[in-house]
Amino acid sequence: MNKLILGRFFPGESILHQMDPRAKLLAGVYFILVLFVANNWQSYGLLWIFTLVVMYLSGVKFSVYIRGVRPLIWLILFTVTLQILFTSGGKIYLDVGPITVSNFGIISGIYIFCRFVMIIFISTVVTLTTKPIDLTDGINALLKPLKRLKIPVDEISLMLSISLRFIPNLLDETQKVMDAQRARGTEFGEGNLLRQMKTLVPIFLPLFASSLNRAEDMANGMETRGYQSGEKRSTFRQLAWKRKDTLCIGTMIILTFGLIVLRTGGFIH
Amino acid sequence: MDVKRTLFLVEVAIFASFAIVLDLIPFLSFKIWPQGGSVSLAMIPIFLVAFRWGTKGGLLAGLLYGLLQLIIEPHIRHWLQAILEYGVAFAGLGLAGLFAKQARKAISAENSRAFIRNVIMGVLLGCSVRYLAHILAGVVFFKEYAPEGIPVWWYSITYNGTYMLPSFIICTVAVWLLFSRQPRLIKI
Repeated sequence: MNKLILGRFFPGESILHQMDPRAKLLAGVYFILVLFVANNWQSYGLLWIFTLVVMYLSGVKFSVYIRGVRPLIWLILFTVTLQILFTSGGKIYLDVGPITVSNFGIISGIYIFCRFVMIIFISTVVTLTTKPIDLTDGINALLKPLKRLKIPVDEISLMLSISLRFIPNLLDETQKVMDAQRARGTEFGEGNLLRQMKTLVPIFLPLFASSLNRAEDMANGMETRGYQSGEKRSTFRQLAWKRKDTLCIGTMIILTFGLIVLRTGGFIH
Repeated sequence: MDVKRTLFLVEVAIFASFAIVLDLIPFLSFKIWPQGGSVSLAMIPIFLVAFRWGTKGGLLAGLLYGLLQLIIEPHIRHWLQAILEYGVAFAGLGLAGLFAKQARKAISAENSRAFIRNVIMGVLLGCSVRYLAHILAGVVFFKEYAPEGIPVWWYSITYNGTYMLPSFIICTVAVWLLFSRQPRLIKI
């Protein structure tokens, strides 16, 4: 169980690691939106250059990124195949009933493949170079405006960090309880559904009970240390917006202009 | 009242991480599709919170679970798909909490019939909202990627149904088993 790495954070010293999580999150979300502006090979080329440079800057081996694509590969291939088989127009190479393979289909298939892979690469860059706890801080900072809508942003992010902190403990505990039940002869994943469900009860009950106790202890601990929900809290880790981060946002703006210039049909399609 | 509030926050947070843990342990979930949509037990803790703390707790726990997944292993294909599948779908599970009061009443009155009915209704409502969100996300995604003439709605409904139906059954049985063995769990 210790081999299990939570999240995909990859320790490092690269410029991307040093960047503010807010900047990375903003840029990542923005990239996924701006991706849809591209509509010809020139604009896709620009996006690829951007993606590859960012991946290089992260200092993480390329194979790690490829591993991120693997679980999605069937979905991607399925979508691309659909696109190739059912799009018509342009030069037609093959035409059997409803199935047509045309150069339009092949081109849009390739574009869709690129879009998929780039979204995965960029979101992987963000999770690889940012600690989960920093991501939480970043999300908290970016969601601040929602406070006006009476959404308890501070409390949600506090809960998020409590959850992240407890995942390893709970994993350990679950393992222990499962081992204890195995030692008593329980076999998991055997028999029909109802039997499988019944083997779960002796795992779940002690875990739930101990979670409830733990929650109570923790809540008491927080209360005695003066936690008041709704009050303003100060933080130990302070986020600092640096020049790199402004540079990152600037790069995104330049990328957008580049895409608008390169895409066919100009600004308004 | 304030003590309760802190307890509420912590408990919801711990149960959300419980849901993630159930996702991470291979023995406890079985995946039937190569990509996403596993029949996992992760929804059970969310439902437990929903029945313990009502709709608000359920919604928060679901939202947290979605956010945690987004931090740990994001599968993003489209921005609207991400909002639907990680935000709306899991928060929607929390709507099971609408039946929490009746369920709690039934359990203190030792009326097991009414209790089971409320559990089924709650889990059904939560699962339906999640199912709907996944269907919509599927349609959004395929509208963007699939060529014209593919029956997207039908495809999305069947694909998502293949794991939502078993999940619904598993969750109903589990929630009912857990609460009837240990009624203390539902009382705060």
